[in-house]
Amino acid sequence: MFSLILKRLGVGLITVLAVSMIIFAGTKILPGDAAQIRLGQQATEANVAAMRERLGLDKPFIVQYANWLTNFAKGDLGVSLSSDVPITSLIGDRYKNTLFVSSLTALIGVPISLMLGIMAAMFPGSLYDRILTFVSVSLVAAPEFFTATLLVLLFVFALGIGNAVVVGSTENKGLFELIAHFALPITTLCFVIASQLIRMSRAAVLNVMSSPYIEMAVLKGIPRKRIIFRHALLNAIGPIVNVVALNLAYLVTGVIVVEVYFGYPGLATLIVQGVQTRDFVLIQGLGMIFCLTYVVLMLIADIAAYASNPRLRHPK
Amino acid sequence: MTRRKDNDPTINTLSASDHDQLFKLVKRGVNRRDFMRYMMAAGATAAASGTLFGGMSSAWAATPKMGGQLIMASDQHGPNDTLDPALFTSAIDYFRGRMFYGSLTRLTSDLGYEPELAEEVISNEDATEWVFKIRKGVEFHDGKTLTADDVLYTMNRHMGENSVSKAASLVSMIDKWEKVNDYEVVAKLSSPNADLPIALGTFHFKIIQDGQTDFTSTIGTGPYRVKEFKPGVRVVGTRFDNYWGEGGYLDELVSYGIGDPVARLNAFLAGDIDGMVNLPPKAISQVEAAEGKEIWSLKSGAYINITPRLDMSVSNNVHMYKAMQYLMDRQRLVKGVYKGEGSLGNDQPINSAYFDYCADIPQRELDPEKAKFHFEKSGLGSTAIPVVAAEVAPGAIDQCLFMQREGKKIGMNFDVKTVTTDGYWGSVWLKEPICVASWNMRPTANIMMTLAFKGDAAWNETRWKNDKFDQTLVDVRGVTDPAKRSQMYCDLQTMIHEENGMSIPCHRNYVDAVASHVQGRTEVPLNNFGGAESPVTLWRADT
Repeated sequence: MFSLILKRLGVGLITVLAVSMIIFAGTKILPGDAAQIRLGQQATEANVAAMRERLGLDKPFIVQYANWLTNFAKGDLGVSLSSDVPITSLIGDRYKNTLFVSSLTALIGVPISLMLGIMAAMFPGSLYDRILTFVSVSLVAAPEFFTATLLVLLFVFALGIGNAVVVGSTENKGLFELIAHFALPITTLCFVIASQLIRMSRAAVLNVMSSPYIEMAVLKGIPRKRIIFRHALLNAIGPIVNVVALNLAYLVTGVIVVEVYFGYPGLATLIVQGVQTRDFVLIQGLGMIFCLTYVVLMLIADIAAYASNPRLRHPK
Repeated sequence: MTRRKDNDPTINTLSASDHDQLFKLVKRGVNRRDFMRYMMAAGATAAASGTLFGGMSSAWAATPKMGGQLIMASDQHGPNDTLDPALFTSAIDYFRGRMFYGSLTRLTSDLGYEPELAEEVISNEDATEWVFKIRKGVEFHDGKTLTADDVLYTMNRHMGENSVSKAASLVSMIDKWEKVNDYEVVAKLSSPNADLPIALGTFHFKIIQDGQTDFTSTIGTGPYRVKEFKPGVRVVGTRFDNYWGEGGYLDELVSYGIGDPVARLNAFLAGDIDGMVNLPPKAISQVEAAEGKEIWSLKSGAYINITPRLDMSVSNNVHMYKAMQYLMDRQRLVKGVYKGEGSLGNDQPINSAYFDYCADIPQRELDPEKAKFHFEKSGLGSTAIPVVAAEVAPGAIDQCLFMQREGKKIGMNFDVKTVTTDGYWGSVWLKEPICVASWNMRPTANIMMTLAFKGDAAWNETRWKNDKFDQTLVDVRGVTDPAKRSQMYCDLQTMIHEENGMSIPCHRNYVDAVASHVQGRTEVPLNNFGGAESPVTLWRADT
């Protein structure tokens, strides 16, 4: 078990390194020169050259990459090109904002979706199952901005409740205000993750249900409810945890549409602003943070899968 | 030259009947030029007439109420939001600057100026030396009194080779700033500039405290003090109780950025925010129909354009750009795309929103006959003419598509390629043979033309160079005779209209939207939210 985790950790590290190379090379390929951007349109040639030297842009690509990576490992993400502020201080508040929304979404969305999915697996082919399948497939097909627009139209404009954007962040807001501001973005996100979670948990449980040992249990006359919760679910945990982890990672990194639509100052809007202002240092830093989030969450998911499934721990 | 005569009328010395008469003029929406003509015919000086016009306009608005909070939302914002006036780049920066700082002069809706932190502005005869007498008893937010040292420190940041200032070019004719005493500074110029006090009233010349280098928060002399400043998120100002002037009526003024136009409109219509910039033209009728929501539109000289590079082989064909100009369906752009919130462009940057506008140049219209004539002379035949466009402002792509459509009718083949706005200014603009741009209005015709039409300007989009134009542009800065000045400005505008090659099909208004309870709206046509001058005067009517 321990060696497996170590091995998994090693794979994670290699992934991070590979992604870091892609991010660094990618931002180098983008048009625009960082020194020029930092100094603005009116800078003289000499000033740009001096700035290039200061930023280390005159060094060979591989040296730049090594410097950047070591600094990142030390927790120094560099200084924003567009504002001279350390990237870490730009990210600080926004990371909190994003975590707030994603953890709330996870807290509300994950248990409900899993419940719904498992219930569907309990009565496959029933009216309930078919309605749920229909709704969740439709939700998968609907992009976030569409869901968000519908929700805003319905709640804010037709019913007159809640806010169309999140004004400010979580600070200085009472519980009631928090709900009014965050209800719609969180509901939108819940819809997005729910569809996949429902489908996956249903499939995972049904998959286990078709295995011989369950048939044995059925033949022994054990009630279906007990079969699912005592016998099937434990074996389905692995894939379910994996899907949950993937969705959590998505919530941290991929909520761009929802953040932009609701004017919420999180990490995703920050990277959009970084791209708009050609702030390469910011893009690199955020790219790495997103990558780390993914890798860590997947690592946790894999460990959970190992822990729940002895067959994974002792492969043939 | 800005000295006043002793018997000049002011708003206080007018007789009741004169007062009524003038009041009616203003209320009827008379513009500054007509008002000044009326007054100067009656023997008042230009300076007094201008001030009187301002006084009349503001007397017309209701009396402000104290208290309450307003949330005003701009569009572009991000980690480069700053409190350093020299580095301001966007509408949200300018608005924030007005909340926390003051400047030597304040721009008026007619693009003249009135004294602010300088209580008196005096120039010598040829406008090469400007004395600014600093207002006494102006307090910074930390209690320190404003003196000449603060002004000198501020101004010197815009001077010299290594200045980081985004507006250094506006004051490049200043040799040096000198302190006369604690309450008087003088600017010595290397060449005349009669418009200097107007330039100093613009966004970047906000007065900061002597020695300030850290801009994570700031201490200014403005009507609000910093309560919270988070770049790319929001800024909150609370009322500064010791503000020296009229203004700062709200308990709290919040400036917020919502980049996405649909989200901004939703937030505004839902009442989450009290005002928004850049209402998409399609939403104008929707806001007009909504209860308690109003359009805050300012006629301005801002424009969109199509610029052929005259120094590139693809686009240096005189008859080609003439044909392009005659293919432009200007009426349809203004009506269809801008829903009337704009005005016809005449292939030169100065329109009637500027003081030095020349009304004598005939309006160029859609004229397929003339276009065909030039097209045939150009010898282009069916060669594809590459045009790169991005939606940098409403209509920027449409103007190309309109041109393409009209061109097709006479056999002219435009190949319009649309790209994203993201990265457009860095990789397309000033680089492609033919591309589009969008310009904000500048406070004077001279500044506008110096910035973007002078032969050696970095932003000279078509690379047109005419020595007579460049010389006139510099000479006119020292001309104080009105007739001569207006003739020279007419020459300048005619030269651009005829030779520059740029198509400027229309000028766009600044179209913002506010809730009806947002009062104290200014009308300086240089930017959104009333030229970003409104933070001082905004108040809330429903508190």
